[in-house]
Amino acid sequence: MKFYLRRFTFYVVTLWAAISLNFLLPRLLPGDPAQIMIGKLRRASGGRPISQETIDSIKALLGADDTPLWQQYLNYWGRLLHGDLGISSTRYPASVGELIAQALPWTVILVGVATVISFVLGIVVGAWVGWRRGTWLDHLVPITTIFQSIPYFWLALVLVAIFSVNLGWLPIIGGYDVFEFPGGPEWSWAFVGSAITHAILPAVTIVLSSVGGWLLGMRNMMVSTLSEDHVVTAEAKGLRPRRIRTAYASRIAQIPSLAGFGIALGFVVAGSIVMEQVFSYPGIGKLMIQSVQGLDYALMQGVFLVITITVLAANFIMDLIYGFIDPRARHNG
Amino acid sequence: MIRRSKRSLAVAIAAGATALSLALAGCSPSGGSSSGADRPLRVWAGSATPVNENFNPFNLDSAVHATFGPIYEPLFFFNQLSSDPPVGLLGDSYEISEDGTVVTVTLKPDLKWNDGEALTAADVVFTMGYGPNKSVDMVSAEAPDDTTVVLTYSKPHFTGLSLTLGSTWIVPEHVWGKITDYMAETNPKPIGSGPYMLKTFSDAAYTVEANPNFRDGEPAVKEVQYIGIDSNQSSQDLLATGKLDWVGQFIANPDAVTGKGVISTLNLQQDPTVLVTCSSAEQGCTGAQTDPAVRQAINVALDRSTIREKAFAGLAGESNPAFLLLPRDEAWLSDPSLETSPQSPNAAEAGAILEAAGYAKGSDGFYGKDGETIDLDLFSPDGWTDYNDAAKLIAEQAGEAGIKITPRTVSDADYWTPISSGDFQMALYGLAASLVADPYSTYHEYFEGVSTAKVGEDPVSGQNYSRYSNPVADAAIVAAGATNDEATKQAAYATVQTEIARDLPYIPVVLNASQSFFNTKDFTGWPSESDLYAVPLPYTSVASAIVLTHLKPVK
Repeated sequence: MKFYLRRFTFYVVTLWAAISLNFLLPRLLPGDPAQIMIGKLRRASGGRPISQETIDSIKALLGADDTPLWQQYLNYWGRLLHGDLGISSTRYPASVGELIAQALPWTVILVGVATVISFVLGIVVGAWVGWRRGTWLDHLVPITTIFQSIPYFWLALVLVAIFSVNLGWLPIIGGYDVFEFPGGPEWSWAFVGSAITHAILPAVTIVLSSVGGWLLGMRNMMVSTLSEDHVVTAEAKGLRPRRIRTAYASRIAQIPSLAGFGIALGFVVAGSIVMEQVFSYPGIGKLMIQSVQGLDYALMQGVFLVITITVLAANFIMDLIYGFIDPRARHNG
Repeated sequence: MIRRSKRSLAVAIAAGATALSLALAGCSPSGGSSSGADRPLRVWAGSATPVNENFNPFNLDSAVHATFGPIYEPLFFFNQLSSDPPVGLLGDSYEISEDGTVVTVTLKPDLKWNDGEALTAADVVFTMGYGPNKSVDMVSAEAPDDTTVVLTYSKPHFTGLSLTLGSTWIVPEHVWGKITDYMAETNPKPIGSGPYMLKTFSDAAYTVEANPNFRDGEPAVKEVQYIGIDSNQSSQDLLATGKLDWVGQFIANPDAVTGKGVISTLNLQQDPTVLVTCSSAEQGCTGAQTDPAVRQAINVALDRSTIREKAFAGLAGESNPAFLLLPRDEAWLSDPSLETSPQSPNAAEAGAILEAAGYAKGSDGFYGKDGETIDLDLFSPDGWTDYNDAAKLIAEQAGEAGIKITPRTVSDADYWTPISSGDFQMALYGLAASLVADPYSTYHEYFEGVSTAKVGEDPVSGQNYSRYSNPVADAAIVAAGATNDEATKQAAYATVQTEIARDLPYIPVVLNASQSFFNTKDFTGWPSESDLYAVPLPYTSVASAIVLTHLKPVK
């Protein structure tokens, strides 16, 4: 219990530090981000005046108001707890919270599931290849790593050219068929089907380009675990090969991969920026690019905050699972 | 707005969840579209996803494309491809007084907004005095009767006329009269007078449908769907597979999409690409390019036909040193020798110009003066491959004539900052041709002294980044702006053209290509080489609506 309490405290403190840093960063930047944003808005509107309300909210958000810093900090927390992340300047006057809420589910589900599929596939196949080391199965390793080394956007474009443009089997862009559903997402089986078909190609490209790493790592860990004493002992005892493979070798061999998986899961929210660009997929990676290109501080802060929180949450969960799988972590950690 | 987003959020979660729990197990989508009669016309006007829900005609930058033209209209349509008089939209005719201070517009009779309310001169008067439309020079806007609008100005309004009549979006008083903060308004239910009205909106696409109250009757194409797409490649793929009907974008090998006989293309060359030079030593520019002789030598050393072929894939056109859009502006061309810039290089002439100005060739083969070799820096934005290639060719060609130019590429941020502050020698840059058949705005924006600033400061108004300031040209530009008399204007423009073609603060390189692609199998009535009634680009305001009303679905 003490282990879990310690981990929990650690994450609460880290979260507080991350959020506070997010508050401080625009205030520490050279120049006045509020002035930059107001200027940008003014240019975007052809030099016309901007309402006082907007100016006040930008100042409050980016720390150019005259109240003392600690007061601003409290206000910042107050707004955060109310879910108010400010107003985007590139998508003015849409609210940052709304933009993120619309993009998040698409990214989390698609990239998340693709990451899980890629991980499970890599571990299962990697364990098998490691078990049957030295046979023709070893060829799988260079084949999958080749996919990983091909630039992602190129792989995606080639697959689009083959399966979407030439064969016409899969859609080219979007999270669903915008031609069939001009009014946007709706509750219907047809829509769900459309979302599935639109997810296939992006998911396949993510899996193809990331499975090689998991597979290689798992295969090598498997090979080294197989030469360890307890496995040799198990073989000498005459246990069935299947039992040795699953309960003795692969359970131990996957521990390092699990740690990597925790980190990979955390970055799911950051999205696959290139994937979203190639497929015009309505996710959060695109918001991030837009905010950085447009110097949209409010949107940037919002996106980074969400990413920070999910990375922390994913690591927290993985920590708990890790402690469960590997008792050593509980005692030494 | 909030209700909508919550619902779509919930749906998105559910959809995505099911989507991926079953991912990889889907079936192929239904392809093929039948004739144009029973489906919307599908357009990519350049919007990226998520599409912004904003139909506020005062948010010129962030409102969606359909706002300008299809939904809201100005009084008249000025076709930037022709010198014909403007076409009446809400306006039927207009007159400007002798001294240019009183503009009288007659509206067409029995106009209606798309909500059925009457559109009268009172709405136009309201619009002219509303928010950002209120011009400091305007004395009054009055409506003596329902179809007459009288605008009075304190100064001659000749040059501002095309803006007032052609780009002021007329809005209904019964809607906008209640809106005080016009900047923060997103106008999700736009009430306009154009041929289309909003039907559905999502952040991936939006659809407009025919307006039953449109003055000329409903347009033949009943629905137009605007799609959000993030990359040119996706749009090209969608065109090739018949999912899109109208796109304006660069495609290096147009045959790839036109090959099946469904999509046609039209390539228009309008806006000049130039070598912008920081030209004025008095304003604080430094470097050899401040000497007109150096600019003249570069001008004749360029092999523009090679640049057009190699860097611009043969799609760009020939530019001219008078910065006119030909043949549209032919009436204003003062000297036939200014019709086009030299297309083939003449190294000998370049050398002669430099030698006459006191330069001599050094042992390294490059010209210099007072022991200092001409060494010019030329930059272009990284990733604009046509510009980057052109810069390399320009450096090679100038090198052959003995002028040393070093090309380099910079990030977008490093590109705009030096150009606007004047901290540069030469850059590849694009000018915008004037929208009406009169070069006034080009000369005023890019060449007049009031449109520039000293090096270190941004021009407050105008885009004269070359820091060019010439009293003779300035006086002529002012004179042209204050008159409506053709002969006076012609004389003034002749002076301007002589000055700028000799001084070359901007060295013309090519005329940029703009390609449009449209489905001629399912829809007819598109503009063609022989009938350029409007620019066939879906992102050009007003013109796109003019094209839409000319289209007919093929049964």
